Amino acid sequence: MGSENLSLWQTFTRGIWKENPVAYQVLGICSALAVTVQMQTALVMAVALTLVTGSSNLIISILRERIPPTIRIIVELAVIASLVIVTDEILKAFFYDISKQLSVFVGLIITNCIVLGRAEAFALANPPIPSLMDGLGNGLGYGVILMIVAFIRELMGAGTVFGVQLIPQWLFDAGYTNMGIMVLAPGAFFVIGLLVWVKNSLPGVSHEEKTGQ
Amino acid sequence: MKNRIYALKFAAILCVVCSTLITGASVGLKGFQIDNMEVDRQKNILKAAGVIEPGDDREISKAMVRQIYDNSIEEIEENGLTLYLYKGDDGSPPDKTDVIPMESGAIKAYVIPIESKGLWGKIKGYMAFENDGMTVAGFTVYSHSETPGLGGEIEKAWFGKNFVGKKIVDASGGFVSISIAKGETGSLPPGQRENHVDGISGATLTGKYLTQGIRENLKMYEPVSLKFRKNQQQ
Repeated sequence: MGSENLSLWQTFTRGIWKENPVAYQVLGICSALAVTVQMQTALVMAVALTLVTGSSNLIISILRERIPPTIRIIVELAVIASLVIVTDEILKAFFYDISKQLSVFVGLIITNCIVLGRAEAFALANPPIPSLMDGLGNGLGYGVILMIVAFIRELMGAGTVFGVQLIPQWLFDAGYTNMGIMVLAPGAFFVIGLLVWVKNSLPGVSHEEKTGQ
Repeated sequence: MKNRIYALKFAAILCVVCSTLITGASVGLKGFQIDNMEVDRQKNILKAAGVIEPGDDREISKAMVRQIYDNSIEEIEENGLTLYLYKGDDGSPPDKTDVIPMESGAIKAYVIPIESKGLWGKIKGYMAFENDGMTVAGFTVYSHSETPGLGGEIEKAWFGKNFVGKKIVDASGGFVSISIAKGETGSLPPGQRENHVDGISGATLTGKYLTQGIRENLKMYEPVSLKFRKNQQQ
């Protein structure tokens, strides 16, 4: 990644749209399926992941000249896993209600390919501050996709947004029913697939960017 | 060779640093965490018994939960089964007894712990019954590892509220437990609606396991419930 000549701002925004981790790099799909049934869980996951990618990128970038290349992946994983577990312990001690919501996500964060992917692809080759921006940008990009997918799935699957009923009762009385498939994982596949298609067919995307070659 | 030794050294140092951090966080914060868990457990018992309105989580401070719990809940053992008796909050701690005080009105509700298998792990919660020994007063889940948004909905207030007013016996008084329906209870024959609660779409398996778990637990506590039912009839 020839990123030395990119500004910090570009490094940050690139992950949000142009090289979006879900829609462009196709990373983090697994957790994007699991937590997008409702907007609230999607939001919690998005915030948590943004913080983790940011800080893991920062730490790995600081260590990048010392990490032996032969064992770099396991080093990255150890750093990420420790970071997530320590954060979870702190939340459990001081913000118990938040941690109860988050604890289920901890495993999903550690194994999220975006965290490892950004550490491997960016943080190992770049100085700490751009790495931090790259991590935050990618986390946000993931979050944006998560929120869009969750919005569509919650609205069509349950008729609500953030738990608030949006589809009026008279529509249900008139025979409208929620789409059961949106609650299940295949629904997320359809929505993510459509999103990638929409993103790639927008003007201004070159063939190279579409195919990633 | 030199590189290999460096890699080994680096790995060793990293392991020590990471494990120290994790152990430090885990051991150092344990006191706070256990404290939080205990208060959360008490809060769930109070919620199941309907003392605290399910849903309003944040307004109640830890100290308040403790005080309400100490003033209204009494924990007893009956034939090796742990029971929580709700006697109403009159501002002073309830009398300690070893047996269930059966004079009418002494107990408003009783709470039993529920431990069930789930789809991904154990589900732990509490179920409260009114003093007639058959009507559910509330249900809460305080620990589970079900999928957020799907099976994870069992911990939400709306799911617990579904249980309120349901019966664990059929019309003739025989024990039938409470089942989680596949879909809504409206589609069931009228005779069964009393013993079923609405299911969660997309979480059929969680419902199946929880139904099974609730039945096992209720069966275990059936002698206690029978006592209450008999007492009611007299």
